[in-house]
Amino acid sequence: MMLQFDFNLLEFLNGLPWDRISETSWRYITALFLLAALILVSRWQGLGIGNKLVVGTIRGTIQILIMALFLVSIFALENLIIIFIVLTFMGVFAAHTVRSNLDHIPGAMSASLPGILIAGLSVMFISVLLGIIPVIGEYIIPMGGMVIGNSMTMSSLVIDRMWSNAQKQRSLIETALSLGANPTQANELTIREAIRAGLLPNLNRYASLGIVSIPGLMSGMIIGGEHPIVAAFYQVIVFIMIFLAATICGFIISRMFLRKMFNERYQLLVPPLQK
Amino acid sequence: MSTISLLEFKNVAMAYDGIIVFENFNLKLLNGETVGLTGPSGCGKSTVLRLAVDLVSPVSGEVLFKSQPVNEWEPTELRRRMVLVPQEASMFTGTVEDNLKWALDIHKMDYREGEFERVLKDVLLDIEYLGKVAANLSGGQKQRVAIARALLLKPDVLLLDEPTSALDMEATLAVEEAINNLIKVSDLSVLIVTHNKEQARRFTSRVIEME
Repeated sequence: MMLQFDFNLLEFLNGLPWDRISETSWRYITALFLLAALILVSRWQGLGIGNKLVVGTIRGTIQILIMALFLVSIFALENLIIIFIVLTFMGVFAAHTVRSNLDHIPGAMSASLPGILIAGLSVMFISVLLGIIPVIGEYIIPMGGMVIGNSMTMSSLVIDRMWSNAQKQRSLIETALSLGANPTQANELTIREAIRAGLLPNLNRYASLGIVSIPGLMSGMIIGGEHPIVAAFYQVIVFIMIFLAATICGFIISRMFLRKMFNERYQLLVPPLQK
Repeated sequence: MSTISLLEFKNVAMAYDGIIVFENFNLKLLNGETVGLTGPSGCGKSTVLRLAVDLVSPVSGEVLFKSQPVNEWEPTELRRRMVLVPQEASMFTGTVEDNLKWALDIHKMDYREGEFERVLKDVLLDIEYLGKVAANLSGGQKQRVAIARALLLKPDVLLLDEPTSALDMEATLAVEEAINNLIKVSDLSVLIVTHNKEQARRFTSRVIEME
């Protein structure tokens, strides 16, 4: 398959729905008043999050607008390979985010990258292959983003739990090793608990679907004009994809990260907790 | 007791973060022998046991198990044949029986009828302990279950790290009695680390003092 990048900026700009963009941007500006109110509350209550809210809103708006423009061009290309390259990029960025959040833990990036990519991309690929989701960017990229995002959360949780457990419960791990356990056996309980904990927020949302809240994908589709029944089906589909990818990701990452925590002599390399 | 050396340290030096803990350390544990290792706090007694099972590696020198360097043994096999019972007897979740079963499971060893009863008897605990929640046991009981759990693997060498340091007098006497019974009834080689010289002498006639 040939990859063609036949891009015309003028044509691209002319194709944008300026009337709807203009209307929504007024709504956005009005919403900034709510943000200003929030900043005032923050100052009044001494929460100290005012600056973060301002910077976060500016940076977030720019990032998400760039993403939106990028998505418009990707959707227009209708090329599955490019769509999966975009998902790969999202996976790499997710692994980078895990490393940034866990910068005190060595090897977080190299452990999380294969887990996020293998789990995220394989679940998306199989879903496309089986016809669970339509072969168009408008579906694959947002749903892929949710799958990868949840795999990213799972990665952070598994790595953080395994590391902190190795520090706090050092004697338990070394007792297991002293009995001849391999690193996987010595950590099996921690790994299982971490994966369960990683799935828990979504399991809670799953259990309360439609009663307590209308989740992100369904809300988005309804706002976008889709029929609520169709949106409801997609919501359950995406939950199943998220659970599958996050679980696969958790198992891959735990195995990868064990190689960072132990050497080939099964000696624990994690330093003890500093008192 | 034979003259075959099971565990041997040859001019071993150990350091943590570049700070030397000990140098030129030599020790021989013969088949069927019980040896006590004593010394002041921080002299590296526990490290000797960790070196024996290759949980840490020496800076220089050699640690041999059955005349083969410990780092040439498959780690899980080395630690099954030479089991270290750490100072803090950590229990895994579940009952005493779950703890004993876990030790067998990790080595894919089959349970034989009456085996749990036998190892508990060796450490002077009765069969009722099998159903007790391991985490709820007293310090001395945990220590004895930890030794029983190690015995289940049928090791050649048992390494005991300060088996009574965290226990009160009554529990200390119970654990000491269990260890003495074990030494009498089995042909195990035992290396006991303790800061208490008197206790070391109660277990064995050969006591090595570290500086």
